[in-house]
Amino acid sequence: MPKISRRGGWSWLQASLPVAIVVAIGLIAIAIEPLAAQGYTPREYGDFPVIGSRAAIWIAAQLHLFFAAFVLGVPMFAVVAEAIGIFSSDDRYDKLAKEFTRLLLVSYSATAIWGAILVFGLITLYPGLWGYLSEIFAPSMWVYVGIFFFESFTLYLYYYGWDRWKKGRAKWGHWGLGILLNLWGTAVMLIANSWLTYMMSPPAEVTPDTAPGMVQFWSAFANATWMPINIHRLIANVVFGGAIVGAYAAYRFLSAKTDEERAHYDWMGYIGNFIAISALIVLPFAGYWLGREIYEFNQQMGTTMMGGFMSWLWVVQAFLIAVLFLAGNYYLWVGMGRIPGAERFMPYTKWMLLVLLIGAAVWATPRNMIADRAEITAMGGQFHPFLGVLGVMSAKNTAVNFMILTTFLSFLLYRRANKKAVVSWEKTGTTIQGALFAVSAAVVLFYGIYGYFVPSIVRIGFSVYQVLAVIAAIILVVVIDVFMMRGAESRGEIRWGEMPERSQYALFILAVTFTWLMGLMGFARSGIRQHWHVFEVIRDTSVDAATPALGYASIVISVCVLIFLSLVTFIFWVGGLAEKPVISGTAGGTTASASADGD
Amino acid sequence: MTNIKVLGVMIGTLAVYTWIANAIPQIESAVPEEVSFSADVSPAELVAAGAELYSGGGGCTTCHGLETRAPNLLTDYNGEGTIGQRCGTRVSGQDCKAYLHESMVDPAGYILEGFEPMVFQARVLSGAQIWSLVAFLQDQGGVVTVSGSDVATAAEADAAAPAGGPMVASNDPLEIMRGNLCLGCHMLDGEGAELGPAFDGMGSRIATDRIRTGIIDPALDIAEGFDHLAGSMPPNLGDMLTARQLEVLVDFLAGQGG
Repeated sequence: MPKISRRGGWSWLQASLPVAIVVAIGLIAIAIEPLAAQGYTPREYGDFPVIGSRAAIWIAAQLHLFFAAFVLGVPMFAVVAEAIGIFSSDDRYDKLAKEFTRLLLVSYSATAIWGAILVFGLITLYPGLWGYLSEIFAPSMWVYVGIFFFESFTLYLYYYGWDRWKKGRAKWGHWGLGILLNLWGTAVMLIANSWLTYMMSPPAEVTPDTAPGMVQFWSAFANATWMPINIHRLIANVVFGGAIVGAYAAYRFLSAKTDEERAHYDWMGYIGNFIAISALIVLPFAGYWLGREIYEFNQQMGTTMMGGFMSWLWVVQAFLIAVLFLAGNYYLWVGMGRIPGAERFMPYTKWMLLVLLIGAAVWATPRNMIADRAEITAMGGQFHPFLGVLGVMSAKNTAVNFMILTTFLSFLLYRRANKKAVVSWEKTGTTIQGALFAVSAAVVLFYGIYGYFVPSIVRIGFSVYQVLAVIAAIILVVVIDVFMMRGAESRGEIRWGEMPERSQYALFILAVTFTWLMGLMGFARSGIRQHWHVFEVIRDTSVDAATPALGYASIVISVCVLIFLSLVTFIFWVGGLAEKPVISGTAGGTTASASADGD
Repeated sequence: MTNIKVLGVMIGTLAVYTWIANAIPQIESAVPEEVSFSADVSPAELVAAGAELYSGGGGCTTCHGLETRAPNLLTDYNGEGTIGQRCGTRVSGQDCKAYLHESMVDPAGYILEGFEPMVFQARVLSGAQIWSLVAFLQDQGGVVTVSGSDVATAAEADAAAPAGGPMVASNDPLEIMRGNLCLGCHMLDGEGAELGPAFDGMGSRIATDRIRTGIIDPALDIAEGFDHLAGSMPPNLGDMLTARQLEVLVDFLAGQGG
């Protein structure tokens, strides 16, 4: 077919683009080296017209990061989906994985293009900082380029070999390629993270007088915040990948022409949302660890982050996370309308909504109010007499753990909606599950209240007990549920595709909110360095040295999100051009699912 | 129509978030200005310098931000107000300025009930820097009375007796520990505080070389279980001891068996 040959030629062209870009960057970097050796000293800063250097680099870095998160998150999604397809012999998952891997090819090019823009931006606008960092991290930059090379070719093999290695042992080999792709991607992320975390938390022995050549590579690479950022980003990429998949499915659902298409994309949207919210539940724990490491690295930085000029940022963050929890749960509750038997759980949703709203309100309560002297006097201190009580970590940890437990309960009810357990111990099992929820909630509440009566150092440790109680409850309840629902009778088929349109807009809101939240957290992470390129080592002496207020930051973030979503929409549209013949051949199988969780 | 609706939801969501972020108080983190410590320095400049020192190089927030090791100075304590409001009533007959200054140059002089002696080595800072800290603390709810003449006098004193050298002249290990405020954090024979690792039994737990390194470069190797206090121990302790005092101290601690 002419369509196939055109697609094949174009795909190889696009496939070679990321490698070409990376090689070009490498050649430029090599060309710069001799100039430095001849005693040429680059200027410290360059100028960028209209928006300024800071905004230019900000936008380039943020967009590179959005695409990087996408191309790291989606392979995780794809390899898990492929594995489920292999183990369950359900072909839908295999097709789902392939559908997204194809989108990766174009996204990969976009990632490389924005990476090139970022590097060229740094070379031309911040040559002094670029020279400093490249002198310390040169070996890792070479390895980075090499891994990127391998990653690209693994992706080509993974995608183009999909149909050739579809059966038997070859399929396992193909799945192995998917795992390898993830390993390369993770390695690339770990290396890049070392550069940016070094700027945040350089080793203690590095001072403004330390020549970059004297900085020990490994101590700079594995700096204080490197591993917490790695873990946090890894989980966040999964969330992000799931959210974008959900938005893609929602768009396809809304524009579907047939019931089969609608059923296919309804199911895909559910899977995307499931992955995004599941990973989101874990994300706050990684965030707390990162925050703790920042405090331990430098208390001043920690104070700036939580109680200084950024204190209001966390109020906005709490609002965004509340939107995520509410939209994710809302999607599930609406989705129950297409599951026979779910009506018996519907009366509980209003109570779960109440818990989520109270939790969101507590989480959004600021601890330190920015106040002038008169206001401080009126409040009797820097803390509000009533709201100040809710602003402490004890209350916030309790709130977020309750929100997580509630969201998990939503998933559990959704999963069990159309099932009727046939095991003899069903009643006992359900009672134990209920008791686990109750004990977990009691532990969270107990330590939440007890935290008010102990010193802050002791209180910090309580969050670990709260987290462990919630995680233990989630794991145990899931294990019991899996065994209890073995051979369960169906109360009726899930009517995939019979989903109100308003539910799909919840998926769009999730994707936009996740993306915006990533931008906001990027600003927080970078902004706490304040007027330092490398914290307390290399001072920012440019005209943009002051860290902007949240209002300006939000405009830049929104612009970045808008550009990203526009480009992703284009990528999806391009993917749709190639996908049409495939979809019509696969959608038929999607209505056959009897399981609420799709497994 | 679907495309327009989707676009509307996306742009609408972005608009709401942008609006919220612009509706809350807008605080920019400005670049700290360079402050001159001459006799004509203004109170405002002193306060600014003190603020930076307080949350930065002075290391004050290591203890005063934790709420447990030391009272919080920037917020109300015990219903007595912020430090600027309560400093003038701490010692009878002593005004706020004199009280704050003396608290820093002689940390063991006034110990607030319920707290251990302050682990603060005023000798790390210049006289002018200490006055800037005093000005900053006065500014927390009080009136700044530190003047350029205080700074000039301190600078002259610094010039006459440059900082450096040992805190105490004695080579007695207990005198060295007391003089260097070690017992402000470490416990020995019932004396001191239980903030850092106890000196009792230290020789049986830690190798001699590690004890020495711990004194000279405390950030290099944090004792297990004390990660949250990283950065609390003065990094310049090695500069405050003579070679003999260091070895006396190391030998003494290494000799503390179980």
